[in-house]
Amino acid sequence: MEYAIELKGISKQFGTLFANKNVNLQLKKSEILALLGENGSGKTTLMNMLSGIYMPDSGSIFINGKKVSISSPEDSAKLGIGMVHQHFKLIERFSALDNIRIGLREDKSFLLKKDTKNEVMKMAEKFGFDIDPDKLVSNMSVSEKQTLEILKVLCYGAKIIILDEPTAVLTVQEIDKLFAVLRKMKEEGHSIIIITHKLNEVMAISDRVTVLRHGEYINTVNTAETDEKMLTELMVGRKVNLFIERPPIEKTKPLLEIRGLTVKNDEGAVAVDHLDFYIRGGEILGVAGIAGSGQKELCEAIAGLRPIVEGKMIHKGENIVGLSPKKILEKGISMSFIPEDRLGMGLAPSLSITDNMILKNYSEPKGPFIDRKSAREEAKKVIERLKVVTPSTETPVRKLSGGNVQKVLLGREIKSGPNVLITAYPVRGLDINSSYMIYNILNDEKKKDVGILFIGEDIDVMMALCDKIMVICHGKLQGVVNSNHTTKEEIGLMMTGALNLVDKGGKTAGIARDSGFADNEETNETEEAGL
Amino acid sequence: MKKYHLVRRPRQSLGRLLIYYLIGIVISLGIGAILLASLGINPFEYYGRMLTIGMIGNKYAYKNVEGFLKILVPLLITSLALGLSFKMRFWNIGGEGEFLIGAISAAIVAFNVTGLPRPLTIVLMCVAAMLSSGLLGLAVAFFKVKFNTNETLVTLMINYIMLYVITYLGKTKEDWNFFLDPKSARPIFGKFPETGIMTGIKIGNFNLLWSVIIAIALIVLIYVYLKYTKHGYEISVVGDSNATAKYAGMKVGKIIMRTMFISSALIGLAAGLTASSSGTISETITNNVGWTGIVVAWLSKLNTPAIAVTSVLIAILQFGCKTAATKYPSIDSNFADLLQGIILFSVLTADFCATFTIRKKEDAKND
Repeated sequence: MEYAIELKGISKQFGTLFANKNVNLQLKKSEILALLGENGSGKTTLMNMLSGIYMPDSGSIFINGKKVSISSPEDSAKLGIGMVHQHFKLIERFSALDNIRIGLREDKSFLLKKDTKNEVMKMAEKFGFDIDPDKLVSNMSVSEKQTLEILKVLCYGAKIIILDEPTAVLTVQEIDKLFAVLRKMKEEGHSIIIITHKLNEVMAISDRVTVLRHGEYINTVNTAETDEKMLTELMVGRKVNLFIERPPIEKTKPLLEIRGLTVKNDEGAVAVDHLDFYIRGGEILGVAGIAGSGQKELCEAIAGLRPIVEGKMIHKGENIVGLSPKKILEKGISMSFIPEDRLGMGLAPSLSITDNMILKNYSEPKGPFIDRKSAREEAKKVIERLKVVTPSTETPVRKLSGGNVQKVLLGREIKSGPNVLITAYPVRGLDINSSYMIYNILNDEKKKDVGILFIGEDIDVMMALCDKIMVICHGKLQGVVNSNHTTKEEIGLMMTGALNLVDKGGKTAGIARDSGFADNEETNETEEAGL
Repeated sequence: MKKYHLVRRPRQSLGRLLIYYLIGIVISLGIGAILLASLGINPFEYYGRMLTIGMIGNKYAYKNVEGFLKILVPLLITSLALGLSFKMRFWNIGGEGEFLIGAISAAIVAFNVTGLPRPLTIVLMCVAAMLSSGLLGLAVAFFKVKFNTNETLVTLMINYIMLYVITYLGKTKEDWNFFLDPKSARPIFGKFPETGIMTGIKIGNFNLLWSVIIAIALIVLIYVYLKYTKHGYEISVVGDSNATAKYAGMKVGKIIMRTMFISSALIGLAAGLTASSSGTISETITNNVGWTGIVVAWLSKLNTPAIAVTSVLIAILQFGCKTAATKYPSIDSNFADLLQGIILFSVLTADFCATFTIRKKEDAKND
């Protein structure tokens, strides 16, 4: 049988590290192949060799049975391979149509704008894409941008489509929509590789699954003949308990109460809109919302990094609005935000672990000098406690793997013994093992009566880990639900703004019954909606 | 089908880097030797004089050391200063302009403050130089922080502005222009009064200028400043990631302005010291340290001890060529620039070769 893609014995080395070692992979025509593996198992590297970003050190690539050499993205496109990257490659100031036009090659690049538009719209119709060709990318939602990326590679004539973690930024409903498009593409004779580490999605969409582990090829199985447990074992190499613990803890009075908080984003638009919520000690409050619904601005506002337009923030009965980031930190409110690139905020990548430990309190010792000695001790403690894999305390953070970077960050945040821990996307891009390690760390903090705000991406995880979930849409509160009494679908609807539970049954979500607000005596309402 | 491609070497080793550097320098000296030979000059003799800065068989060898130090000190201080701002990823390429404004300010003090003791006058000159350069740098940083102007462009333009200012001062014969020599009919820069000219410690015939001692102290000070102080820590964090610095509660704008002030003020100090030790100013007083300093800082990978060593090597090259050239009429000190260019190229190539290697692609064994 002739395969759309066949990879034989592909190896790629970065320094001493094998990103891929003797990997084999076959993609049949008109099939959806899931490429499964933990973080750092070499999935993206392997696919980047197909899209011409890297060249393999050894091994051969066959496209439709013919041996080829791909040394640039140009070569890759000519062979009919299109890759949709995890981080979109779009020009924000261009319209959807112009983004497609700039990449058209040869004969097509001379087409008139309206002819291209016709072609694009025909293609969109064929696969059931919902897209406005004249909309600027900067005005698009994440899911629209992704649609555009897929449409773009289709317009360039790609027959083989590679999607790198396409679902990471989508809501449940959007994922369903994406999967429908993928199935349609499959019917039209396209072959698809989808990179992911979400097992339920693998089961839902793929025909076969190829598993990589530590850069090596493990196995390929038919999706119909396998289950999530077996896939996990293939992926991790041993049995894993997929249960996320949620220890019940006696809750304390509200630690941090936020009332009517309004914050603007960098562009001056309202990002957080009259938000009410509170966190008790000993509870994890999840924040669910589509990417860019004001999560980042909320974090920055609480940490004192972003000016507050309106609203109150009361921490243990004290107003913290207008305090400097340093003062807020001293009150025991610690914020860790893992941005998309995972290094941009919170850590200085070229600096050593030791130097990163003192990032927030380097100015504490008296005199002009920094105290590196105790920093090193702290680094040692964090490395030991969170089992960070590193050659030494003096290793630059950027040389660590993703999981270890996040452990360093979280380790620093909890070493100062905060009473409110705000953590955004702490498991972003982490593999199963590291993710569970992070959940355990958070649960340990919860047991110490720390109030935790957990801003996450994966609804399944949030429902397992968090006591309550607050859903926001365009910076507005859609309601606070109890994890035991809600469904994924309900949260999904709230995320898109289709369902609003703020005033469910005459109760107002986000305002504590035993609030510390003095002016709150007459509003003796709810604990949480849905309870 | 492409068979070879470049890959990063698995391990970076300092030993390999130094060996590659050495090979690069030897190759460039070889190219220089061919050029010299084609001009009828014995390259060994020439290099011999160059590397020993003309001291061998010279009755006045100490004079050569003095001359060498006069080239070294401004280059060293400027490179250290530029390293400071580069570490913060602030692309200050205005070393020339900052140097010139410093020199002009020092000259203003030297010509106008008379009657004070010499040490006090010189200190005043240096303070004036540091303040003027520092404020210029501060202004650039202020615009960067406030309006996000491009510091590379702004500092670049400052170089030309200051160059034209000093050219204007040097070419305008008017009554108000105290910079000029009143005795000369042609406009030329005058010599400072005695109180504005630096002396040093006499060691036999050799005169160790105070500026040398200051420069050596600065190496240590800046090393400590960058490595062990809170300020130094802030500079590395801001340089590494602006977002992280803000998140840590650092006042990034303040740090940028402070560091840029210090960096420029140090260049001003170099200018003040240079003006005072040469006893006059001129359009060429910078000896291009604003540019060469950038090269030194990057060749040293912004490492303070390495900056000191590289400055010494470049100064030997420059001064050595100058002295060697005096013996051969067919060649002048421009050969130093040529040789410096060739060496720079080969060292950068060596750096690349030490980082990357070529690997042959193998096909799958089971083809």
